[in-house]
Amino acid sequence: MIFHPGILALLLGSALTTSMLCYSAYEGVRIIRNWDISSGSERQLELERRTYLVSTVMSYVLGFQLLSLFLFIYTADTLSPLFIGAMCAAGSLNVNGFGYSALVLKIVGCLLAGLWLVVNFTDNKAYDYPLIRKKYWLLLFITPFLIAETSVQAGYLLGLKPNIITSCCGTLFSADAKTVMSDLLALPLSLSESAFFLSTPITIVSGLYVYFKTKGAYLFSIASFIHFFISIAALISFISIYFYELPTHHCPFCILHPEYGYVGYPMYLAILVSAVSGLGTGIINPFRNIASLCNVIPRIQKRFALISILSNSVFALIVVYGILFSNLSMAAY
Amino acid sequence: MGAIEKQRNILDFTLSSLGRRKGKNIALVVVYTFVIFLLASVLFFTHSLKKEASLILQDAPEMTVQRLLAGRQDLIPTHYIDTIRQIRGVQSVAPRLWGYYYDAMSGANYTLMVNAELNDRAGEIIIGNGVSMRSMSGIGNQALRKNDIIPFKTYDGSVLTLKVRGLLPFASELVTADLILVSEADFRTLFSIANDQATDLVLNVRNAKELSTIAAKITQIHPDTRPILREEILRTYDAVFDWRGGVIFMVLSGVFFAFIILAWDKATGLSAEEKREIGILKAIGWETSDILLMKFWEGSAVSIAAFFMGIFLAYLHIFLASSILFEPVLKGWSVLYPSFRLTPYISVYQIATLFFLTVIPYTVVTIVPSWRSATIDPDSVMRM
Amino acid sequence: MIRLQNVRKVFNADKSNEFVAIEGVNLSIDSHGATVLKGPSGSGKTTLLSILGCMARPTSGRIMLKEREITSLPERFLTEVRRETFGIVFQQFNLIKGITALENVMLPAYPNGEKHASLKKRAMDLLDLLNLTGKAFSKVEWLSGGEAQRIAIARALINNPAIIIADEPTAHLDTRLSREFMEIMRQLKKEGKTLLIASHDPIVYDSTVIDRIVEMRDGKIESSGDVP
Ligand SMILES: Nc1ncnc2c1ncn2[C@@H]1O[C@H](COP(=O)(O)OP(=O)(O)O)[C@@H](O)[C@H]1O
Ligand SMILES: [Mg+2]
Repeated sequence: MIFHPGILALLLGSALTTSMLCYSAYEGVRIIRNWDISSGSERQLELERRTYLVSTVMSYVLGFQLLSLFLFIYTADTLSPLFIGAMCAAGSLNVNGFGYSALVLKIVGCLLAGLWLVVNFTDNKAYDYPLIRKKYWLLLFITPFLIAETSVQAGYLLGLKPNIITSCCGTLFSADAKTVMSDLLALPLSLSESAFFLSTPITIVSGLYVYFKTKGAYLFSIASFIHFFISIAALISFISIYFYELPTHHCPFCILHPEYGYVGYPMYLAILVSAVSGLGTGIINPFRNIASLCNVIPRIQKRFALISILSNSVFALIVVYGILFSNLSMAAY
Repeated sequence: MGAIEKQRNILDFTLSSLGRRKGKNIALVVVYTFVIFLLASVLFFTHSLKKEASLILQDAPEMTVQRLLAGRQDLIPTHYIDTIRQIRGVQSVAPRLWGYYYDAMSGANYTLMVNAELNDRAGEIIIGNGVSMRSMSGIGNQALRKNDIIPFKTYDGSVLTLKVRGLLPFASELVTADLILVSEADFRTLFSIANDQATDLVLNVRNAKELSTIAAKITQIHPDTRPILREEILRTYDAVFDWRGGVIFMVLSGVFFAFIILAWDKATGLSAEEKREIGILKAIGWETSDILLMKFWEGSAVSIAAFFMGIFLAYLHIFLASSILFEPVLKGWSVLYPSFRLTPYISVYQIATLFFLTVIPYTVVTIVPSWRSATIDPDSVMRM
Repeated sequence: MIRLQNVRKVFNADKSNEFVAIEGVNLSIDSHGATVLKGPSGSGKTTLLSILGCMARPTSGRIMLKEREITSLPERFLTEVRRETFGIVFQQFNLIKGITALENVMLPAYPNGEKHASLKKRAMDLLDLLNLTGKAFSKVEWLSGGEAQRIAIARALINNPAIIIADEPTAHLDTRLSREFMEIMRQLKKEGKTLLIASHDPIVYDSTVIDRIVEMRDGKIESSGDVP
């Protein structure tokens, strides 16, 4: 193991987050089993009080999870000089088999925590808490992901040793490597560009439809889901090279560096926010016919649609700005 | 926007409440600040040392070749130079002479290094800042100056006196502090080293990508040598500094746990007055989540205050006050403690790491107590 | 306006110290009237008042507020109902020390998200109405008993509630101040507020303001009748 403050911070942070979540899951089980809103018994009053604790804990879990995602990438970046061949996070994460799995689980953790809060927010607007059992089942579903995330991250961080030979963004994110990435990058640039510039307006327009007509939530949700993957693919395949101004540099991490004005942070944040708000709109849609929610859900959906439209626009604007003001010479293509 | 006004109102009230309970909060903020100050100091210090080391190593040769004898480093014959120079890609090869000298009088270890500029000035030395502060001549605590004479004990016990020609410039004090530059002749006399031997060889290559190939060739021609690449040294330095920082963190975890217990205690031990206030707020129409919001702002205010004060004090400590608290602990490779100044350097990453190590544990510890106080029955004040 | 059906409140249920504070209470409170809950100490007045005022939920039974069933409303919504419908005056005044009288009056409206300036203006108007303008910026610990009482009333009125609840409001006041309090109550009743007061002070229940007296004993309603 490498004794690095960043590693200690990540291990401590995720241990705390996961133990809080496990505690919430335990409360969740009690609530699923004993909840009876019509009762005024002391046990029911106590359970209602516990729901406040779980809500609070989950808000913090999401916040910490988000911070920890970026700290994780940043730590991998900082550690890169310790590994032979690593120039940025791409190389450090490749040092052992857990690196990229941990990253994916962290992103999934953020999305799931975000979605739980959307459901919780909705449920708390209805005087009879109609989703209470469903949302605590969802919590029980989320918990294993975060436990897995903590374990895989620990496996990755504890398995790090200096001087390990690894390969970095130059090879990992190049068309020549034999990975899913390479297949993606082998596709012509124009394809990913058109996919991105097609899915952005589709997502925004379907969001506007939800906003003005409060209809089409599923469509919007699916569009957002697809757009999430297209955005990440686009970031690696063509957005990155405009910011790096190098036709062969496709690294998704270097863009977080100060050399590029930290532009990666707003982009990733926009991608995550748009995914959570888009998926959130869909996840609450099945409940729009519940009496206590039928007035609430359209309002919430409108709000999330607006958030999604804004974050997608911000992302698209950054991309367009990057393309317009890039000194990249595409002569090589 | 009602929601924003609500946040503002609650925040206003929270801040005024904090002000009303200064006594209770000041103790917490002081300890909190102190913990952050300690951790931040360690972080800034190790990080700056790392930075400093890498700056120095930038000028170091790309490759050093040592000779191993029975598994230990030994003097290297200078005729190796000729064969190594033949290897394709090698630009230049030069011998180096350097070593350590223990001075019993001051109890310090100095680094002696041969400098070509002194070669036609045998009998003279140039000394680093730390050496000058540490009087070797036994004239009390007076700093050494130009033209002072210093006695050195040679390998056979006889004394060789050398004259101080000047001081090394201030720039990278960390490494030059304990450095003494001598002429080749004096060095060989001091340690009785034959003319056809050197401490190690340094080489420059035409293309950095060929470093490992060249290193392989050298070990092939001279199996008793060990080539060391600058990259490797940098890596080792990084690992060593991180390791030292990590160890200190572990040592400080005792302080940290004490703080966490204090935070828990403060958060749980609500005074009767505070309980009454929360009860009143709930009775007059504040909801549990409003109280939780208030508690959130309260925790944030305390954390932000302690966080920034702690970082600020650590900055002063490390970059302006020469890290007085740590020097003996962390540097350790010499008994000399020059009052050197590290180049101020703070990154977002350090701040984020600190945040994770301090604010998040504090927040987690206060969640349950805050929730407990927020769920006081609204009718409880009717029975007080 | 408020209807209780077969309301029961148990403390420490299923424990050795289980205590039934309210049992089988049926009660209907009409708008614009003044009702007194009268009875010896420990008879359950405060408990009943806190159930009526949406501060506590009954263990069983039903509560209707303006034709809306609020029996099993979770705290999150019950608080909203309470904030909008009830203004509460406590036995001990229960003002928050260390802040000004004005801030105390404004506190119940903070969660509403009203603009600070307009809220402050309304609070000042209320203080003006209760002859307290000069005390707006005094810390509450420097106020006299009567002033503190009026601040507490102003605080109860800030959200413009339909119902004013007071628990033993005169317990800490001398005769003159008690009468003054009842005069303010008369004024509020005239403005259309519904009053609900728990008290065993004759100045309160013999006052001409009161329309109806509900007598309680051992957690049950003994008698309930309009004042002739
Ligand atoms: N939280 C509680 N736990 C246990 N017993 C309680 C609690 N609150 C009130 N009681 C009991 O309920 C009874 C009724 O109290 P209360 O309503 O305050 O009466 P009153 O206001 O008429 O004096 C009292 O005997 C009191 O001890
Ligand atoms: Mg009472």
